[in-house]
Amino acid sequence: MPMADTLSPPPTAKQKAIVEAHGISKQFGDLEVLTNIDFSLAPSEVVCVIGPSGSGKSTLLRCLAFLEPYDHGSVYINGKLLGYEDRSGKRVRTSEKRVDEVRAPVGMVFQHFHLWPHRTALENVTEALRLVNGLSRGDAEAEGMAMLEQVGLAERAGHFPESLSGGQKQRVAIARALAMRPRVMFFDEPTSALDPELVGEVLDVMKKLAADGMTMVIVTHEMGFAAKVADRVIFMDQGSVVESSPPATLFRHPKSERLQQFLNTWRERHID
Amino acid sequence: MFDIALLWEARGLILQGLWNTLWICFLGCLLALSLGLALAALRLANPRLFGYPVACYVEICRGTPLLILLFLLYYGGPSIGLRLDAEIAGVTGIGLYGAGYFAEIYRGGFKSIPKGQLEAARMLGISPWHTLTRVQIPQMARLIVPPGTNQLIILVKESALISIISVDDLTKNATTIVNQTFHVIEPYLAVALLYWLMIELVARGGYALEKRLADRQPRHVTQ
Repeated sequence: MPMADTLSPPPTAKQKAIVEAHGISKQFGDLEVLTNIDFSLAPSEVVCVIGPSGSGKSTLLRCLAFLEPYDHGSVYINGKLLGYEDRSGKRVRTSEKRVDEVRAPVGMVFQHFHLWPHRTALENVTEALRLVNGLSRGDAEAEGMAMLEQVGLAERAGHFPESLSGGQKQRVAIARALAMRPRVMFFDEPTSALDPELVGEVLDVMKKLAADGMTMVIVTHEMGFAAKVADRVIFMDQGSVVESSPPATLFRHPKSERLQQFLNTWRERHID
Repeated sequence: MFDIALLWEARGLILQGLWNTLWICFLGCLLALSLGLALAALRLANPRLFGYPVACYVEICRGTPLLILLFLLYYGGPSIGLRLDAEIAGVTGIGLYGAGYFAEIYRGGFKSIPKGQLEAARMLGISPWHTLTRVQIPQMARLIVPPGTNQLIILVKESALISIISVDDLTKNATTIVNQTFHVIEPYLAVALLYWLMIELVARGGYALEKRLADRQPRHVTQ
């Protein structure tokens, strides 16, 4: 496996980015899926990542979370290098425990929810509170109910995932991530697996989160949502960031031909 | 003529055989279940380190007869300083042999859990140990009840082989009765019936466990 060969300087103190990436690259075998990506996320910023499938947007998010180890470059969470450490001038992988520590401020929501089917909605939310934060059953349940309340699912607390709709499952998954009090939330195509009529309830929860000041990175195909909620939209194609601007600029005045093409295709499909 | 009285007279031997078969199978299966789980969990936790050795173990268990393993343990053991009672050799043989099969059954169960569930656990900071014990094993356990029951049944039946290394189990004691009375049909039919009874109990236990695990996740009606 190619290892990160150069040590990037840590972010300077005045930068307050919660998540920061310098020149990250990722290869799957011979296929380069990310090429030299820079990324920075300020507190309370909401960034949507759009692009055609296979453009590397999900891989970017997964590299920022170290679910996929990046090959080159650096990712910092709250100024701490994620996944690697400098040992006598050479870069080596850190322990999984250290990865967990550095990544603790990050909550993640997946396209396919990934709830644990053998646990109720409430138990899905309380599991990490009990196992990781060491809360008592009572405290964890109180906290868990508050989180389910926040996503409008308190009355479904005792239900198992299989009896919830896709939208409800995704909201439970959001509550599960929120329970750990993350400072930033990563959403990997959170509505792509949902029936169209269930997309709204999930986006509503996310809008509320954004309005409450949550820092968020959202990989999505929901252009309308990105236009309304994002502070910044990143357009990716073929493993590179092609454009990165506030939504008004990016959607109305796309500079690159590739983005114009992408938006045209999308409009053709969605407007008429 | 079918002579029931003969069986009544030989009841001591039959009961002794039944008891021996029962406890040896019980301990052997317990060893097989737990060693198998340990092997599967090791392989899961660190495939690079344990994948190959565990795979070899599984292939050896599946590729060689239990009887040879029993011979090696009981007759071959002393030459490397391992002196086992026949019963203990039986328990060990059944356990080591079954563990190979169970490791594979568990692996199948683990594999059918979507990887994303483990990523979700990781992103919440849940340790690999807790992910194994709280996310993977409970789901795996439910999946492997039917194939696991099947394997237990096979082990109970194969336990008849321990009679060959002189354990006084059901099969050997039946043979003893045959040799003493020159009646072949009655003793063997009787122990066949007893094996069947034991296996029926294992099978029913499997069904009950399957149902119990399913009931723990009641199906709610949506809306």
